[in-house]
Amino acid sequence: MRSFDELSAAEIAAGVAAGDFSAEEVARASLDAIEAREPSIHAFLQVTEELALERARELDRARAAGEKLPPLAGVPLAVKDNMNLIGSRTTCGSRMLEDYESPYTATCVARMVEAGCLPVAKANMDEFAFGSSTETSYFGKTANPWDVERVPGGSSGGSAAAVAAGEVTLALGSDTGGSIRQPASFCGVVGLKPTYGAVSRYGVVAFGSSLDQVGPFGRRVEDVALAMNALVGPGRDPLDSTSQDCPVDFLEHLEDGVRGLRIGVVSELVEARGVSAEVKAVVYAAARALQDQGAELVEVALPHIEDSIAAYYVIGPCEAFSNLARFDGVRYGYQEPGCATLAEQSEKSRAKGFGAEAKRRQMLGAYLLSSGVYDRYYYKAQQARTLITRSYANAFEKADVLLLPSSPRTAFKFGEISDPTEMYASDLCTISSNIAGNGSISVPAGLGRETGLPVAVQLQGPAFKDRRLLTFARAVERAFEGECAVAPAFAGKGGELA
Amino acid sequence: MALSEDDVRAIAEYARIGLDDEELTAMTAYMNDAVELLRPIVEFDPAGVDPTFHPIGDLSDVMRDDEERPGLSLEAALENAHAKEGRLFRVPSILGGGGLS
Repeated sequence: MRSFDELSAAEIAAGVAAGDFSAEEVARASLDAIEAREPSIHAFLQVTEELALERARELDRARAAGEKLPPLAGVPLAVKDNMNLIGSRTTCGSRMLEDYESPYTATCVARMVEAGCLPVAKANMDEFAFGSSTETSYFGKTANPWDVERVPGGSSGGSAAAVAAGEVTLALGSDTGGSIRQPASFCGVVGLKPTYGAVSRYGVVAFGSSLDQVGPFGRRVEDVALAMNALVGPGRDPLDSTSQDCPVDFLEHLEDGVRGLRIGVVSELVEARGVSAEVKAVVYAAARALQDQGAELVEVALPHIEDSIAAYYVIGPCEAFSNLARFDGVRYGYQEPGCATLAEQSEKSRAKGFGAEAKRRQMLGAYLLSSGVYDRYYYKAQQARTLITRSYANAFEKADVLLLPSSPRTAFKFGEISDPTEMYASDLCTISSNIAGNGSISVPAGLGRETGLPVAVQLQGPAFKDRRLLTFARAVERAFEGECAVAPAFAGKGGELA
Repeated sequence: MALSEDDVRAIAEYARIGLDDEELTAMTAYMNDAVELLRPIVEFDPAGVDPTFHPIGDLSDVMRDDEERPGLSLEAALENAHAKEGRLFRVPSILGGGGLS
């Protein structure tokens, strides 16, 4: 007997198609692993057992009827709890939406389920995705499977931890300033933020509408490529007017290698203040490994990158304030009882429904958009965005992809960073590609020599060249293969598959 | 320019987020720290640079065919509301004197 956590998404789908095991058996293995591992991790806010079993039985019936199965048939999937899925609550990790039942299903989730995934659970997250540690969830913290005294990163911490703990094979997260890549880095899994517009945002509760992007987590680059095929394959989503038509086969060039391609090392970020020695060592080791595989290393500068944190912390809160204004307790969400006026009800519902960080971000956004302040901050932040985008365009004339850290350091302990502004600075490595909109991926690159925790490198590519990113990510994976899989304390714990 | 507690109280009123005295003090400290973090933007001199409001530069209107199609059912639209009456969301009085209890 072996645990399903040893299998990749492709192996599970192949096993189901060949009849080695049924989709229902995989669903039950995942649910069994969740039962065994979840008390230590708390990656999930809701286990959607019935939805997973129902989808599994559909697939098993299809196979029995001789139908061709979809490419991710039987693959257990966790979905970040800001994505709607009919039959589940969508809480955004907030008291505000504690009882909110999804009235429809997000396109990204629907496409994964259509591609054969079993929606096993809704994953914990920082409240409304405001955070980098998943500590701001109203429903409690998620632990890092590599060290349960440490944070999994955030805001998609539940999704990353669930994959790292082997509770599921794939997960969806959303990334507004690094919320896929930083938790992927902390938990030793692969996490892709696709180019803005590549994946539909329909049905995903909005944080920063010009920054948010949905993407997959997996333990292998190939699994992430399969998930991307499902997410972008059918083309643009008529329900999201910002979604673009970019259907490509992400598996097609996965094994092409990087010979003759150019890697731009962004030294100013590798050497930036706050980047730990072990992270620097891993980035340079990855650069050498890519060079050994035939890539050419070039030095690349990203002028204005230091402005991206300030630009992000103007644009993000402003868009969040606008988006979260809808939570007034009338149509959905927490409602304070016994109020005399609509204004009182709105003010008290928002005071009690939102947690501290959600209030802070909205307050900052409200201030920055106010009369007389807007021109000094918001307009200039959008001008900075132009310069950051130009910096990338210049860098991509010299290099095919850029190499930099995913996070300045490995996972920190719960409560270790309590100053919100210090937490913001930890986003330095990831924010700029949300500002410019291009795709980025975090790939595990072994364990840190000081902390023994997962360290990752980040690859950033030009807009809509996400397939190229995956080719490079596969090359990094090849160099560090076997060093990061399911976190050792949880591997094989429950989840046996006949 | 530091923000006073009165400034922050006015922003909270505008944002419809009730803050008690303790929260107001903490929020004022946070707002001033955050504004300090954003100083590079104020000092930034981008004369002549056009703003980019959206990463998709050539974003244009996307229109669907003008055909009737089903939307969210009334039942689904009302499902998550705490106060409703018949086909409607129920809210307290706008001006006061007739609140929900």
